[in-house]
Amino acid sequence: MKDAEPIIGIDLGTTNSLVAYADAAGPRLIHGPLGDDDVILPSVVAFDENGDKMTIGREARAHAVERPLTTIHSIKRLMGRGVADMADELSHLPYRVESLHDDDENRDIASVVIGNNRLSPPEISALYLRTLAQWAERHFGKPVTRAVITVPAHFDDAQRQATRDAGSIAGLTVERIVNEPTAAALAYGLDRMNEGTIAVYDLGGGTFDISLLTIEDGIFEVLSTDGDTHLGGDDFDRKLIAMFTTEIHEQFGVDINTPTIKQQLRTLAENIKIRLSEEETAPIEIAINEGRVYQRIVTRDEFEGMIAPFVDRTIEACNRAMKAAGKRADDIDKVVMVGGSTRVPFVRRRVGEVFDTTPYTALNPDQVVALGAAVQGSILAGTQRDMLLLDVTPLSLGIETLGGAMGKLLAANVRIPCQASETFTTFQDGQTAVKINVLQGERELAKDCRSLGVFELRDIPPMPSGIPKIEVTFLIDQNGILNVFAKEQRSGRAASVQIIPSHGLTREEVKQRETEALEHAREDMAAHHLIDVRTTLEFDLNKAEHMIERFGHLVSVEERTKLAHGIAEIRAFAETSNDPVAINEKREAFNRMTIPLAEVGMTASLQEQDTSTGEVSGPEKASRSG
Amino acid sequence: MASQDSTLPAKCLKCETDLSSPIVCEGCSTLYPVPKAADYFMLLGVERAFSLDQDKLRASFRALSRNIHPDRFSGQPPEVMAMATRLSAEMNQAYATLEDPARRANYMLELAGGPSAADVRDVPGNLLAEVMMIREEMEEADRDDRTRICESLLAQRADVLDQIGSLADQLATADDETKTNFRKLLNSIKYYDNLLNELAEGPLDSAVNERA
Repeated sequence: MKDAEPIIGIDLGTTNSLVAYADAAGPRLIHGPLGDDDVILPSVVAFDENGDKMTIGREARAHAVERPLTTIHSIKRLMGRGVADMADELSHLPYRVESLHDDDENRDIASVVIGNNRLSPPEISALYLRTLAQWAERHFGKPVTRAVITVPAHFDDAQRQATRDAGSIAGLTVERIVNEPTAAALAYGLDRMNEGTIAVYDLGGGTFDISLLTIEDGIFEVLSTDGDTHLGGDDFDRKLIAMFTTEIHEQFGVDINTPTIKQQLRTLAENIKIRLSEEETAPIEIAINEGRVYQRIVTRDEFEGMIAPFVDRTIEACNRAMKAAGKRADDIDKVVMVGGSTRVPFVRRRVGEVFDTTPYTALNPDQVVALGAAVQGSILAGTQRDMLLLDVTPLSLGIETLGGAMGKLLAANVRIPCQASETFTTFQDGQTAVKINVLQGERELAKDCRSLGVFELRDIPPMPSGIPKIEVTFLIDQNGILNVFAKEQRSGRAASVQIIPSHGLTREEVKQRETEALEHAREDMAAHHLIDVRTTLEFDLNKAEHMIERFGHLVSVEERTKLAHGIAEIRAFAETSNDPVAINEKREAFNRMTIPLAEVGMTASLQEQDTSTGEVSGPEKASRSG
Repeated sequence: MASQDSTLPAKCLKCETDLSSPIVCEGCSTLYPVPKAADYFMLLGVERAFSLDQDKLRASFRALSRNIHPDRFSGQPPEVMAMATRLSAEMNQAYATLEDPARRANYMLELAGGPSAADVRDVPGNLLAEVMMIREEMEEADRDDRTRICESLLAQRADVLDQIGSLADQLATADDETKTNFRKLLNSIKYYDNLLNELAEGPLDSAVNERA
């Protein structure tokens, strides 16, 4: 039955997350509980002080100002990262970030601190994934366990792994990790008129990607990709915030450092940015103290001056991507704009200049990635047989060699899946394990690249030093995720590979969180079940009270008293008991007690019907009386 | 290679369709491991020649991708997915090697049992002296000079590649000296590429920059 299960597509965004599904009619967004327009889940979750989840999405976002320390947004920026990587970033986040493990210096997993708890980014992302899966489950009326999840094309292995871990914790089988610009291209290229060479410029809240592709006969072939996983619209907001903060300090001698005001400023800055996409100026007004008010007008020119350095960085990436693909601006038929930040007119203008064409902005930049993920889901499900996606790896992969250099094994922009092999040996007699530091990045020195973790080859047969020949295969799969296999050539024995990720959870840690999440889900289910049982009980008790009122005079006083006592007793029990099974048993026992009354009532209403003029039909009457 | 071809099954072991590729049956999508005897040319179903048909190569790569990409096997047992992934990785490597003339020539030398870049590090004639001169020139060069140097390097590289092309198809029957000279020519390509990369990092006229 696995094939009959739908594969949903999820855009797990820095700011917003969406879910979609594609069938023969094409991809469509799946909406949330509030109706057709409720298609965006803000990627925000509010916790209480103990680290228990309170609300998610729009409601959580509304609490951000009151509870800046326990309202978590932009978790995507932390995925697969260490605290040490994020020094610049942390001052912008109102909540606390520390490494998941204090005691292990080889592992630095940036995690969110709430009360005494530390939550890893995959655990928090799993909450959004779970919510979106529930939207889908309600849409289909059946469980949904298979999903395609998108990531920025420039995400490294650790960030991709973290995303896949989030899926597992949410109880989903992640059928595929797809690059966001590539997903957007899938949605764009559904229309066969759109074949050709395209660039997808994807500037979101926290990440930037540029990908060049050819679309021909349904094959989407990525030629090159470049980008920056820490560059996005959030940076535009931060520039505005920095300006307000400085000016307020200069004018009023007031420092803005409380999380609440910081959060307020964030909201204001975001609104101004949005307004400046439509208008030439935007006013700002902030009450400082004792009736003093900071106010000014921000002009579009001023804003563009502020964001120009960021936009320049995206333009450089576009040029690098064209060079890597061996393409010139006039080879590009269309530049497809994706991500909310491409609404900024300055961004559109600069992109238009570099590619010498008017950017294509007809697609909804917030929705197209989720729609594309759904299309990939339909390719995997086999319902879309004509289309195929051929992607590339965004970063070079290598190993640390003697002397701390980066020994490149696989270059950036190589088609995936791809693999490379390297032979290792031992340095000591009888050595049975060898450690390899695996790296990703474009720099010459290992210390300037990102370490994916230490891969330990174990179970090497003991031999004199230098004799074992351990062939290690590094395979990057279609998800852009690294798989490592090792084989000792002389003995022909497979060596096991133990991976200790530098910035990610181990397999065991993911499993443990999966189990915990499942238990939480069970608790939630139990809570739902309890509510259901109580509701049913209350319905039955009301019905009984109604019968006593109408037909009570037809039974004995003892009978009436017994029923009244029964009702009071079971109500008291249901209020204090949390055991749905016990409540249900009591309810059934009580219903048996009401049978004599129900029979008397039935007879009475039948007689009533016989003597009446018959304008009320039987079934309706019966339902009224019992 | 005819005797080695015979190690490949002619018909699919499962559905008995005639196999047009050594790694996949077009009829029932059964995957086969890459036969030990198969080289990249065979894998992609193109003639073993330096001047191969680029369009045919690309068409063959795309057709094979449709049949063996792991996305085609989603939901199937993990070992089938793993097989599709590894086959795709090998085919991608084969295609990347044959697609680029310098890499293709390098591979043909390898097939012919010629010396590797580690075995023979030399370059032809006085290339090293020339490279040093060009480096000196680059230090003082303005935009126009750099553009001129770039153009001249591109032309030299194309000449070397022509020489490589005229020799490549005879490698299988060539003597050791010819193979060593071929290796030296291939080594020189790296020097040109390094210089061109360095030039591309500085200011250049755009038309040349894109080729560099």
